[in-house]
Amino acid sequence: MDSDEIGVLAKAAAGGDAAAWAALVERFSGLIWSVTRAYRLGSADAADVFQTTWLRLAEHIGRLDHPEYVGAWLATTARREALRMARASTRVVPTDDETVFDTGQAADPTPEQAVLDSERAHQLWRAFRQLPDRCQMLLRLLIAAPAPSYAEVAAAIDRPIGSIGPSRARCLRLLRELLPA
Amino acid sequence: MRDEPADTELTEELRQIAARIEPVPPRLLQAAVEAFTWRTIDADLAELVFDSLADDRETALVRGSQHDRLLSFRAGDLAIEVEVGTAGSARSLIGQLDPPQRATVDIRHSGGVVTLQADELGRFSADSLPVGPVSLRCALAGTGPPVVTEWVPI
Repeated sequence: MDSDEIGVLAKAAAGGDAAAWAALVERFSGLIWSVTRAYRLGSADAADVFQTTWLRLAEHIGRLDHPEYVGAWLATTARREALRMARASTRVVPTDDETVFDTGQAADPTPEQAVLDSERAHQLWRAFRQLPDRCQMLLRLLIAAPAPSYAEVAAAIDRPIGSIGPSRARCLRLLRELLPA
Repeated sequence: MRDEPADTELTEELRQIAARIEPVPPRLLQAAVEAFTWRTIDADLAELVFDSLADDRETALVRGSQHDRLLSFRAGDLAIEVEVGTAGSARSLIGQLDPPQRATVDIRHSGGVVTLQADELGRFSADSLPVGPVSLRCALAGTGPPVVTEWVPI
């Protein structure tokens, strides 16, 4: 989905088209969720940030200067709310805390063992968790589903677009070094 | 910088793993779809201009602490000041419209809407609100459009 198509959806949603809104939710929910993961919010705070970001967009959808960049707007809004929450909350979890894997369904967390079937996947995720924080943060955003644009990732971490590609290459190189030979 | 094919492949592998380990919770996807129904048309938007949690570093308030949190919203000449109180897992609001005036105030939250009247001094209050995003919609006594505040998690 390119920025023209996204702009068309955002304008249609601003005009009251619920199907266009649902398409935006499908396109960008993974990105917003990855922001809450990147900033290591606990599940309750992550849920609040996620919901607040979409509710903010519902009020702003008709007021956007650049509807085609609604993804970057959402990423920026989610980042600000995540930082506010991180500053405010006692529920932020440290880097190596197991609750990083909490999916937001506290009653039924998804254990890593249950969902990763191959040895390769286990090795890869273990190596990912050993990466420096800045690499985990960047990669969590880049591996959102569907894949975000570099502009959206840059908005989510407030860094220049031009830095994303080189940082990604550096972090993936580090990741390979952490994998068993 | 070019994207190496091997980097693209590794990124895709990680994307599939993350989608299995930490997917977007389905109930939140549903809530995002439903957020559209909260859209207000022809309302003035009151932006959040102050939040003691985020902006008041000196007192370093902590969410859920004994201290009340202060929020200020502004739309044109109207200011909406809100004090958020905490009682266990519930939240309370004490609000003030400035300039003071009567208004019908809808407190919109994840569980529904609570409708209140602001008195002639512009004061209103509510308790037993759930934790989560909240927005106020104020229909002023005059003829202007209603004012809605940005959503803020309390």
